[in-house]
Amino acid sequence: MYKDNREFMKALEAAGELVTIDQEVDWDMEAGAIVRKVCEDKAPSPLMNKIKDYPGHRYLGAPLANYRKLAIAMGMDPDSSIPEIAAEYLERTNREPVKPVIVEKDQAPCKENIITGDDVDLFTLPAPMVHEGDGGRYLATWHFVVTKDPDKQEVNWGMYRQMVYNSKIMTGPLFPFSGGGQVFHGKYVPRGEAMPFATVIGPDPLGAIAGSAPTAIPEPEYTGQLLGKPVELVKCETVDLEVPANAEIIIEGYILPDVSIEEGPFGEYTGYRTSPRDTRTVYQVTAITHRNDPITTISNMGVPTDEGQLLRSFTLGLEMDRMLRNQGIPITGVYMLPESTHHLVVVGVKPLYTNIAAQIAQTVFGSSLGMWFHMVVVVDDKTDIYNFNEVLHALSTRCHPVNGIHVWQGVGTPLYPFLSAAERKKSVGPKVLFDCTFPLDWDPLSEVPRLVSFKTVYPQEIQDKVLANWEKYGFTK
Amino acid sequence: MARYDVFINSLADLPEGKEVQLAIRDLSPGIHKYCYQDVLAMVSPDPEKYDEKMQVRYGRGQAHPQLFSIKIQENVERIPERWR
Ligand SMILES: Cc1cc2nc3c(=O)[nH]c(=O)nc-3n(C[C@H](O)[C@H](O)[C@H](O)COP(=O)(O)O)c2cc1C
Repeated sequence: MYKDNREFMKALEAAGELVTIDQEVDWDMEAGAIVRKVCEDKAPSPLMNKIKDYPGHRYLGAPLANYRKLAIAMGMDPDSSIPEIAAEYLERTNREPVKPVIVEKDQAPCKENIITGDDVDLFTLPAPMVHEGDGGRYLATWHFVVTKDPDKQEVNWGMYRQMVYNSKIMTGPLFPFSGGGQVFHGKYVPRGEAMPFATVIGPDPLGAIAGSAPTAIPEPEYTGQLLGKPVELVKCETVDLEVPANAEIIIEGYILPDVSIEEGPFGEYTGYRTSPRDTRTVYQVTAITHRNDPITTISNMGVPTDEGQLLRSFTLGLEMDRMLRNQGIPITGVYMLPESTHHLVVVGVKPLYTNIAAQIAQTVFGSSLGMWFHMVVVVDDKTDIYNFNEVLHALSTRCHPVNGIHVWQGVGTPLYPFLSAAERKKSVGPKVLFDCTFPLDWDPLSEVPRLVSFKTVYPQEIQDKVLANWEKYGFTK
Repeated sequence: MARYDVFINSLADLPEGKEVQLAIRDLSPGIHKYCYQDVLAMVSPDPEKYDEKMQVRYGRGQAHPQLFSIKIQENVERIPERWR
């Protein structure tokens, strides 16, 4: 497993998933455009070695925007299947949490350069202008923000975007339903106190996955579970927090409780600039520390597939899997489609009782994960949830338009492109269930339609014979 | 080329002949490009009325087809005193 993003990049390169660009790239949209096209083409991650105006700085774009890169991040064979990666992820995160260790400053590469006080200027870092029309330069797009509960001392790592406002201020949406946001809005704001934060740019890939994953386990320990060993942390310079010692860039400071300043608009994971420009959370910066030749990581949100869509789908789906199994619901698996910008989740279930699909939908929509998606497709245990053709066929043939589609008025994020401005303000989130199971009271022999496929209508010996002779018939394997 | 730009919800946010508080971005080339400034300013839909040209953008980033002009009167500090 990789101790940092640099080791991960070597593994990406070995698997043909890294392209090194030595010609100069402009931070003003060119780098963003490269990363966007990489996401849309599912191409290797670009390492950009020369950035206009920023000698000595580098970019890594789209570090985890396909399943091969995710498998590599997990230390698995790049060609592992999605269910294999999912099983490994669940197995590791079902183990005991692994507490981090603190290392001394001289062991921490992220302290190779330390800038504090009046010398702090966020514009000395190459925050890219990711898309034309964005509200500003986004320094933090593939990163996490470290905060701590002042009472319980529990640490949170959350991936919350940050825009450079001026030399010492960043702004961004720290929603009250996020881990860091709950502590800020629930504790610091009522007390009128500023909340210490540290933004970690260019973390190791598993730390980034933890920062964007919906987990109740403190993320340093969750990263330790994924890593199979303790994460190495080092104390910050100006705030009482710890950050990964091997990260590329650290921005320290305080989140102010009594002022909000404009942020956005920004290209978002839904594939649109949806949230309008608005006043949002203010991060006041007190220090910057970074490695030599630091590598700023860039994720470019837009139409699928970027790492936000891929990883959020992956981790949201697997948390649902864990939750539904814990509830004793006989699911066969959960798969959230990254192509749906984590809005559509497919759940396979053994339909043991009538209306089990409604129970599944209500459970997942009612959970803390339910803010982020609004479509649940429930298929039976014979449908391969990872096979898009099978799922689309089930949806188009087994879901009764009157009896099988159920609509609720629930809670959602303000980022849904289809919501009106008024709905967004009220966190309205309409939800829909597509029940693609045949009614249980239909007689299986005389009433349930027979699925006509190679796998289902031919005797096993005929299937075996055809498969054994496939190449002899003249087909390629 | 505009020297500044500004994001608005509607053109009513830019009344002519009246001092308005705006968060504008400096578009001058260099490392500080896109740095925000909080200002009190006079603005006009006539791109020649004041010295500096200003691009106007709507809340989701779309650019207004015509340039405005702007005259900055003074800078404004928005961070409360106790955090400065
Ligand atoms: C690239 C990226 C950007 C994100 N930006 C935000 C954001 O600005 N605000 C937010 O609340 N969540 C954002 N999210 C989602 C959170 O990272 C996600 O909900 C995560 O679980 C947060 O951790 P938490 O549960 O500790 O809050 C983003 C996710 C990704 C992948």
